[in-house]
Amino acid sequence: MSSDRAPRWRRYFGFVRPNISGDVEDELAFHLQSRIERNVALGLTPDEARREAIERFGDVDTLRSSLVRHDERQHATERRAEYVADFMQDLRFGWRALRRTPAFTIAAVLTLALGIGANTAIFSVLDAVVLQPLPYAQPDRLVTLGQGSSGEYLALRERLRTITDLAEWDPTTDPVDDGRDALRMTGVAVTPNLMPMLGAAPLLGRGFTPNDGVVGNNHVLLLSYATWRREFGGGLDVVGRTLTLDGLPYTIVGVMPPSFRYPNPAVQYWRPYAIDPQNGGLMWGVGGKQFVGRLAPNAMLEQARREVRTVWPSLRTANPIWDPGPEYRRDATVTPLKADVVGSSAPLLWMLFGATLLVLLIACVNVANLLLARATARERELAVRAALGGGRGRLLRQLVTEGLLLSVVGALAGVGLAVLTVRVLVVAVPTGLPRADEVTVNGPALIFALVMSVATGVVFSMVPAIRTTSAATRASGSMLGRRATATRSHARVSAWLVGGEIALAVTLVVGSLLLVRSFAALRAIAPGFDPSHVIAARISAPEATYAPGSERLAAFYADVLERMRAVPGVRSAALVNQLSLAAPVWAQAIRVQGQFEDVKHTLPMVDHFQTVTPGYFAAMGIPVLRGRSFTDDDRAGQPLVAVVSQSVAQRFWPRGDAIGHRIGYPFDSPWITIVGVVPDTKQDSLRDASTATMYMPWAQRTMMVGSELWLVARTTGDPADAGSNIRRIVHDIDRGVPVSDVRTMDAVVSGSVVGARFAAALVTVFALVALALGAVGIFGVMSYVVSERRQEMGLRMALGATQGRVVTLVVGRALRLAAIGTLAGLACAIVAARPLHRWLYGVSAMDPLTFAAVPIVFAVVALLASYIPARRATRVEPVAAMHDA
Amino acid sequence: MPTFRDPGDLLQGTLRILILKSLLLGPAHGYAIARWIEDTTGDVLRIEEGSLYPALRRLQDRGLVTSEWGLSENNRRARYYSITRAGRALLRAESSIWLEYSQAVTRVLRAEPSLA
Repeated sequence: MSSDRAPRWRRYFGFVRPNISGDVEDELAFHLQSRIERNVALGLTPDEARREAIERFGDVDTLRSSLVRHDERQHATERRAEYVADFMQDLRFGWRALRRTPAFTIAAVLTLALGIGANTAIFSVLDAVVLQPLPYAQPDRLVTLGQGSSGEYLALRERLRTITDLAEWDPTTDPVDDGRDALRMTGVAVTPNLMPMLGAAPLLGRGFTPNDGVVGNNHVLLLSYATWRREFGGGLDVVGRTLTLDGLPYTIVGVMPPSFRYPNPAVQYWRPYAIDPQNGGLMWGVGGKQFVGRLAPNAMLEQARREVRTVWPSLRTANPIWDPGPEYRRDATVTPLKADVVGSSAPLLWMLFGATLLVLLIACVNVANLLLARATARERELAVRAALGGGRGRLLRQLVTEGLLLSVVGALAGVGLAVLTVRVLVVAVPTGLPRADEVTVNGPALIFALVMSVATGVVFSMVPAIRTTSAATRASGSMLGRRATATRSHARVSAWLVGGEIALAVTLVVGSLLLVRSFAALRAIAPGFDPSHVIAARISAPEATYAPGSERLAAFYADVLERMRAVPGVRSAALVNQLSLAAPVWAQAIRVQGQFEDVKHTLPMVDHFQTVTPGYFAAMGIPVLRGRSFTDDDRAGQPLVAVVSQSVAQRFWPRGDAIGHRIGYPFDSPWITIVGVVPDTKQDSLRDASTATMYMPWAQRTMMVGSELWLVARTTGDPADAGSNIRRIVHDIDRGVPVSDVRTMDAVVSGSVVGARFAAALVTVFALVALALGAVGIFGVMSYVVSERRQEMGLRMALGATQGRVVTLVVGRALRLAAIGTLAGLACAIVAARPLHRWLYGVSAMDPLTFAAVPIVFAVVALLASYIPARRATRVEPVAAMHDA
Repeated sequence: MPTFRDPGDLLQGTLRILILKSLLLGPAHGYAIARWIEDTTGDVLRIEEGSLYPALRRLQDRGLVTSEWGLSENNRRARYYSITRAGRALLRAESSIWLEYSQAVTRVLRAEPSLA
């Protein structure tokens, strides 16, 4: 037979391939040869005999090749059918085997479901947020240039060659009067070219035209799909209707499709931003506009960066208001839009993904361990099968098929788990996660889960399978012989696995402890104000009714403050234009008398600039260190005054004599006298190091202040009680003024660290899972060791070993295992903590406390996990154990 | 004596019946089948012997015959074909149809007026 000629190694792996063309050749040759011999016997000459035979036969060559083709095809079909039949048989067999041991099966499936589920959930988020391209035309050509003023925007748009199209947008929240309630809608003011640049067209009506961007023509808007459906009932007659934003009528000209949600899904409408080239002050004086553009067809990102780095600083001379200094825009750069949108979420999600991969690895190890223990129990069955002629490859396949069955069932449960947790995950990241609405467990995630389950199935069944089959085939000769040796080596492999598992768990626990400690350190940062007992709310007086700087506006807010102070339990109330840690608090360039006076030279920047009413410092619990705070006498027409924070004072007047010195706006304007010094406060985030702040009385500030203010009130009791009064008070005065973001300052502060809390909480959950799995692993291997060494234990007891001695023996072994695993894990953690660096605050990646605590934790876990098996060892009846032997 | 050369498709069905019939005697290799047909028909049905093999493959694919390697009378490696149960059933059905058909044609040809 042809397969006899195949080399041993090929047959071993089942790659036997019959010699098809040889067989066909043999068959035809036999026929012709027989005919020739007969012809010769009939008296023909050999030549004639051959000619006659071939003539009878027909075209030998064509026939030969068509037969070979046929046989090869047939052979392939048979092999496939055979393989499928084997697979089905393995599957049936595996299913029965799993059903015979339900405890094992449930444990393994749950473990895998946890591992695969966590991975699939995080992968779903990672895929939607980081991996999927943005839903715009040629999204990889879209870039952002950061922020600037409209003057800079127009100049850049004019001059840049590597960026063909540049749009500007600015988030806006407008009070809306829909005739029923005062509410605020979230929108974006955009230059009319934004949508065409992103490749988006309206679903209904028309898009913006360049004409919509001209001052006076810009009272049109496009609705988002969700707003159209929710607020306008999804009717086709919405186009042409009017919406009153900030007291001014806007005509709805169209509805954008559901896929268009730039810059974020919260946007309810877009309105054209009209740049007034005549108003240089407004154009150049107000920054913070976002620039987004499209790379020219042949331009590379690096070219665009180079161009922007030269062009933007050159605009220094184009600024008609002040000289921004030689450092102006030296750091200008171009970022791919996706990197900008995804921002810091990408490293966070990759980190979480890494953590879940560790969990999955641990789950695999645990299941491998379970399989190993079970395989030992099945050794006889496998030995019998080996003896009955099941080759090693066949047995291996059987075990791997069982593993796959297990992992696929686990994956199904895991995907279910992922579907549930993804919702929780997305909700748990209240503000931090971009593109959160795009997250679902969809195609890519399911494929990922499938790949993961197959990979894990093969991985965790391979080790025990190889061990078991080699033992089984060896043992098949003498069925009971060598059992002890085999099990001892199983215990060794198992210990190795558990050691590795502990190492992985240690890595995760170290990471989670570092994050938790960072979060605690972050929470321990004093914000510079006292957030307890403070309630805050945003009050958005419409500018059409309450013009900035108007008497009416002042009277309105005076009324609000008076009524608020009359609420029982309210100790003080004040207003601020941008609330610390809740809204971006702008930076401001200033002149300093006697130091930086010339507006044509570089002026220093103050990190934050807040406009407040008297009583603000009392309400926020900011002590006045020197001088005084604002009073009602600091109003328009009186000398201009300011309060600065300590770092401002120290920077310009290091001798501590800031009071009485004068500063000014970065253009020709009256000097402002410093009357008080307060501590620095955190404005952007608790980690914020740039906390130099300057305060101006609201009554004296006329520049760049809108009609929207934040109310802050300090209360004696629960601030939330006072909060419910704010809406009522404002509503009583004017129904048309929306109140939003009513929150306690404590909530504002913890909201600002929600990202750190999220990362710490999630990694801690993973670490706890890892710890639990590690404990299960230790328990499993120690139980196994005890049951395999019953005789030895019995013997020891018979020879007079005390129970304590036996317990010490077992527990000591577990501790040794944990110690080795922990040491390896700490080494891994040193490597793994490095990329964690960016989330750490106030702890080093090598935090000694963490690195000291983790071994103790694992020692305790090992102690607890091995105690039960150890107790069991002491209950071994010496005599019974000896009888077994 | 007139001789029929295999015209192709026309004799496909015939060839199938001949092969199956030849295997009723027991397993045989291709050459033996060819010889059996030759001897039985007195070499009247001169089939192209090569066409036996594709026909055998088709029969095997349909489960009408099976094959295995064995040694020939003179100790050479040869593939032996044997008829299966399904093969027998098919042969029985087809041969009755064939016999009816050929008898009908015979009756027609024997009818008056005679060709001679």
